[in-house]
Amino acid sequence: MISPLLLLILFIISLHALIFNPSLMKKVFALNILNSAIVLLFITQGASLGSRAPFTTESPEQMVDPVVQALMLTAIVIGVCVTSFSLALVVHLHSRYGSFDYRHIRKGIANDR
Amino acid sequence: MKRWSNPAQILVSFIFLLLFLPLFLSQEPWPTAARDILAEEAEKQTGAENIVSAMYLGYRAFDTLGETIVLLIALSGTMSVVSLLKRNSEDVRTPVSLDFSLEEEKRAHHRLRTHLLEVVTGKIGPIILLFGFYVVMHGHLSPGGGFQGGAIIASGIIFFVLGNPHRREESEIQRTTLHLIESSAFLLFLLAALVPLFMTGEVLANPFEAKEIYIIALNTFIGLKVEPGSH
Amino acid sequence: METTLLIMLIGLASCALLSKDLLSGIIALGAFSLFSAVIFLLSHAPDVAITEAAVGAGLTTIIFVWAIRHTGRDDR
Repeated sequence: MISPLLLLILFIISLHALIFNPSLMKKVFALNILNSAIVLLFITQGASLGSRAPFTTESPEQMVDPVVQALMLTAIVIGVCVTSFSLALVVHLHSRYGSFDYRHIRKGIANDR
Repeated sequence: MKRWSNPAQILVSFIFLLLFLPLFLSQEPWPTAARDILAEEAEKQTGAENIVSAMYLGYRAFDTLGETIVLLIALSGTMSVVSLLKRNSEDVRTPVSLDFSLEEEKRAHHRLRTHLLEVVTGKIGPIILLFGFYVVMHGHLSPGGGFQGGAIIASGIIFFVLGNPHRREESEIQRTTLHLIESSAFLLFLLAALVPLFMTGEVLANPFEAKEIYIIALNTFIGLKVEPGSH
Repeated sequence: METTLLIMLIGLASCALLSKDLLSGIIALGAFSLFSAVIFLLSHAPDVAITEAAVGAGLTTIIFVWAIRHTGRDDR
């Protein structure tokens, strides 16, 4: 019961950074942590079902839920895609405007117009 | 530190919290129906002892095909953004540690490279490659599979690139080879998906023709990696 | 055990999000991924654990380090 609450704290920390931190790099960090928090939540909840890894060589009745594991595998891979693409965008913005701070970048874009 | 001047930010964070709060606080017991059916049927229907692999490449292999396409699109998007970058920043700020440094004439090209790095990465690289191939080949029996093994192989190749004592021209060659491998692997995967269509009338009928995904995953990261590796 | 690891994860996450030096933040993020891989292993999910260890702790860190090589390591 305690682990969902801890993961909720993790979620709130990363959500706060995602919305209120002005640095784009920290926003990418926060996206990463947000993804991990959701994956951790699903895996720990699905593991409440049993006490064995999902292999048929072991006795099947105490197995944890394999569905959620297969879904979270996809989530991790897609998370890396999102991270790499957003990092490429952030690096490009930094090389153009010289800052990670979105307020500076916004000012720079306004100057360009 | 912060100016709480933007109410839209606060509103958005509250909406997000309200959306996700039930997920964290629900007391519902986890449903067992899917687990029971899969424990009974998965090995008979797909032939894999690892049920996660059985789902990944058996029950939802079509979705995995879509996932590889997502990987490809993310890679090409990233590469196109990266190719817009000017290659100007030869950073002169990096301090050169002389303790393990290379000889004089090589140090000019490889500012951050030391003997320590070359020896360690050169020795560990082949072992990591071997382990990656093991993980790929035993994906249906033990934990692992295409994406995981591909990522491990990518780390091994990155180690080779780091430990390579030669200049950057060779890594350029390696990059075109890797792009070739990637595209042909995706074609092979599509072929493996389509061949059962003509034989049995179903797409992806036999799950274990789908092993080629790993090279796609590999090159997603290699493409990203060889770019800086060619410093 | 799991609770201890989760508290450690919260510490590492706040360390990554609050640090002024981006490189130390990236290292904290890699450690975060590694410890969450341990949690997956304890929750009987070896497939997810190996994915997180290879992809999250390995390749994500490499991509981040590549990124700050282009931008410089202080967060400004």
